[in-house]
Amino acid sequence: MREPVIEAIDVVRRYGRGAAEVQALRGVNLKIRAGELTLLMGPSGSGKTTLLSILGCMLSPSSGTVRLRGETTTNASQSELARLRRQHVGFIFQSYHLFPTLSALDNVRLALDVRGQTGQAAVTRALDVLAAVGLAHKKDAFPHEMSGGEQQRVAIARAIAGTPSIILADEPTGALDTENGYAVMKVLARIARDPGHGVLVVTHDPRVRSFANRILYIEDGRIVGEERGTGLAAAE
Amino acid sequence: MSLIFRLASRNLFQDRLRFIATIIGIVFSIVLVSVQLGLFLGFQKMVTTMIDHTPADLWVVSRGTKCFEDPSLLDKHDQAKALSVPGVSEVVPLIIGFSEWSVPHDGTTPVFVVGTTPKGLQPWHVVQGSFSAVSDPHGVAIDRSYFGRLGVSALGDTTTIRNHTVAVKAITQGIRSFTTTPYVFAPLDSAQTYIGTAHNEISYLLVHLAHGADAAQVRNALLHKLDKVEVLTPLEFRDRSRSFWLFGTGAGFALFGGALLGAIVGTVIIAQTLYSSTKDHLTEFATLRAIGSSSLYIHKVIITQALLSAVIGFGAAAVIDFIVVWLTFSSALPIVMTPVLTLGLFVLTVVMCVVSAVSAIVQVTRIDPARVFKS
Repeated sequence: MREPVIEAIDVVRRYGRGAAEVQALRGVNLKIRAGELTLLMGPSGSGKTTLLSILGCMLSPSSGTVRLRGETTTNASQSELARLRRQHVGFIFQSYHLFPTLSALDNVRLALDVRGQTGQAAVTRALDVLAAVGLAHKKDAFPHEMSGGEQQRVAIARAIAGTPSIILADEPTGALDTENGYAVMKVLARIARDPGHGVLVVTHDPRVRSFANRILYIEDGRIVGEERGTGLAAAE
Repeated sequence: MSLIFRLASRNLFQDRLRFIATIIGIVFSIVLVSVQLGLFLGFQKMVTTMIDHTPADLWVVSRGTKCFEDPSLLDKHDQAKALSVPGVSEVVPLIIGFSEWSVPHDGTTPVFVVGTTPKGLQPWHVVQGSFSAVSDPHGVAIDRSYFGRLGVSALGDTTTIRNHTVAVKAITQGIRSFTTTPYVFAPLDSAQTYIGTAHNEISYLLVHLAHGADAAQVRNALLHKLDKVEVLTPLEFRDRSRSFWLFGTGAGFALFGGALLGAIVGTVIIAQTLYSSTKDHLTEFATLRAIGSSSLYIHKVIITQALLSAVIGFGAAAVIDFIVVWLTFSSALPIVMTPVLTLGLFVLTVVMCVVSAVSAIVQVTRIDPARVFKS
């Protein structure tokens, strides 16, 4: 079995203090492996986004450990967390969060630029990943000139451009119709087959279950179930 | 083009109204600062214009003299004493003082009389007549810009100064006084009459050194020989005059105060617009943080925005400045713009803009990258 790219061990996250304290995560244990598309499903308020923030090195756990490619995030400084994100994590957001003033190509290049990859090599890499999501012909288009599905695919290209260890997607189909949602999930499933990446998709969209290799269920801040998916839709 | 530059410029130009407001703020601020400092330089130049045009190696002045316009007087006998000092080749007397010029059919107006000899302070930029004509005891030289004020309009016009008839024998162009009181050049003896001083009283002695003489030694000898005087080099007299008019009167502080106010107002305006621009792009900056950009990368974006504002704002301000300089060129107090001042203003603009970026940087530094999940 492959080594996990990311591992959460007894992760607890609390917000507030005293009577106002809320425990968003109550001892989460999970492993995400490369070459797999894992779904994290659960109702609103179950702790999905908090877990995603912790796995993505945006938040530190109140207790417990997160290991990313063997590096622990415990007690890491903000700049250290930024380095870990830069080196290992690619994000995809429900609202895409593309830069409206930059073309598709420049939006992808930005992920390389922050990693210190510039010049023609970065342009070539950005074009390659745009081609990988089927948008090479849209390289000069600005976000407002693209459909929601196309914008989300540009966001996917941005996420994979820096060859991260793990891609974390927050409701990537949440703002898309069935057809575009399907297209986006197909791209993600294809990326997940690459043994260099693991993909974790947070969703409550039941339509995407068929793309998953594994499904984790979270409720009240705990992983309450796990099942193997077929990943069949991805293979179509 | 660097991606940082592209992102910064597009952030800046995206909201055109705010961008124009930023540029107006910078232009207003820089024009205000440059006018104040340009006035300072112009004033600095104007207060020493007489000293600058006076041929002298050393000035003998009454002790405690604060500036060229000081009314203190010397004994004319000091001229002979000074001439007897080894190393002195010539000593030329100079008298200055206020008097009353009769404006034909319109009362009187104050004038500043400069009484000179052919080897002393000569009127420069003579455009009509000649200075030799001023050796005519009734002849005077005046500047063309004061024709209206003095009620004369041409060479040969006559009037009176303190009831003594004078005739305009030379006309200059550009000899203007920062006090707005017109200068009137006249022969020494006549000037003493117009000013109302005795013929044994003079304002200054202009000392010319013999070839090879040591100025310091001559100065000491003059101080030893003459009572109640100071001996100054032209540079020292210039500095003393400037210091008096600029700082003794508070005029310099007022000009610097205005410049400082302009810089503060500009900084606040730019800071406000950069802050609001950054606030509008917070989600984008949070996205940058989420995708792993270092704080330095984000700071570079914001500072590039600030520097772009600085360059564009300064360019527009420089055009206005040069128009202002051109418009005031022949006024009583021209605004002076030098290459050093221009460079200094550019540096000031850049510093203002970078300092202004601090509030935006602090704001971005506090962004929670996890906000990208919430919006």
